[in-house]
Amino acid sequence: MTDSAAFEPLAMDFDGAGDGGERALALLLLSMADDEFVIGFSDSEWTGIGPILEEDVAISSLAQDELGHAQALYGLLVNTVADGRDADAWAYDRPPEGYLHARLLDHHRGDWAMTIARRYLYDTADAARLEALAGSSHQPLRELVAKIRREERYHLMHVQTWIERLADAGGESRARLVAALATLAPDAGTVLAPLPGDEALVRRGIVTEAFATIEARWRDAVGATFRSLGLPTLPPTADPDHARSGHSDAFRALHAELTMVRQSEVGATW
Amino acid sequence: MTDSPPADRAGGGDGSSAPGVLEPWEVFRQEKDGDPMKHGGSVMAPDSVLALHYAREMYSRRQESVHLWVVRRSDIHDLADLDLLQPPLDRSFKKPGGYVMRAKLAAARAQSGESKPKANKGAR
Repeated sequence: MTDSAAFEPLAMDFDGAGDGGERALALLLLSMADDEFVIGFSDSEWTGIGPILEEDVAISSLAQDELGHAQALYGLLVNTVADGRDADAWAYDRPPEGYLHARLLDHHRGDWAMTIARRYLYDTADAARLEALAGSSHQPLRELVAKIRREERYHLMHVQTWIERLADAGGESRARLVAALATLAPDAGTVLAPLPGDEALVRRGIVTEAFATIEARWRDAVGATFRSLGLPTLPPTADPDHARSGHSDAFRALHAELTMVRQSEVGATW
Repeated sequence: MTDSPPADRAGGGDGSSAPGVLEPWEVFRQEKDGDPMKHGGSVMAPDSVLALHYAREMYSRRQESVHLWVVRRSDIHDLADLDLLQPPLDRSFKKPGGYVMRAKLAAARAQSGESKPKANKGAR
């Protein structure tokens, strides 16, 4: 189902991760943390150039929330892998190909319609994933997910409000949204693509449903919204074997920026 | 088919004004349960939904509030006429403390032979 070669760069990352189950948990945590880190950093590029002052503050605040979620998830990963790396090392000290975020987030933030389309697709998929983790057998993850879901409620409300306004406005707003969705939609399902060890995660109750089931529920919900807004149906995921690998030049550029300060003085205490 | 919104979708927002046009909304916030709602400031927004989102970002993203109201500024009726609000003649007789009663009470007590009653602690 998933090309294990796509995860080869990570093999070295999990030498300390113990048995297969621990490795599957580590991959889940890393994929979620990287998703939140990449979209958080990418959306923070709007700070100072948002469409209006109020939205500038709102998108910056949302981006900060995502970085906060990433920090907490990297924290759980640190305890799971326990190889001496701290959350900052996980966040900043990997080469671009070592990141495990979904290909949906490989796209540049683009214009406002692109950012809203990407946020909508990501936030709805992330919400479906979090729902399947609300009853996780892994207590630290279950407790963190309960907190994250309370913050994600507002993210969902805000992005739903925006996608409705762009779609309903017609004209250039709608045209830009439709164009953004055409670019992003083939990659939307990558957030919920099965991870290596999917079966182990379900068997151990870490995730309460298989990713295929979560994805089907998410597609139903998004499909209903898109029908009501007259937007095209989501296509199936393109190239599902590389859902979280083979990152884009846009991500490499983002990675160069987000690691710049850290790399300017390796080992410094900030 | 995707060029324009479906016919049953009418222009977005809460339908209360022209869609997409920004206008000022006044924000009232309650700092903690039991406190009165106090004016906090204002936000620009095209409708009540986004006005509440922006009020949340501006006045509670650091958990400063437990309750927010937004009111469209154009829905506020204004009175700032000093002839009505600050009339020039003496109004002290309209104030509850306007009459000094102490001397009259003392005279009445003296006449009836009563002493000044002690403060009734149990009555509170």
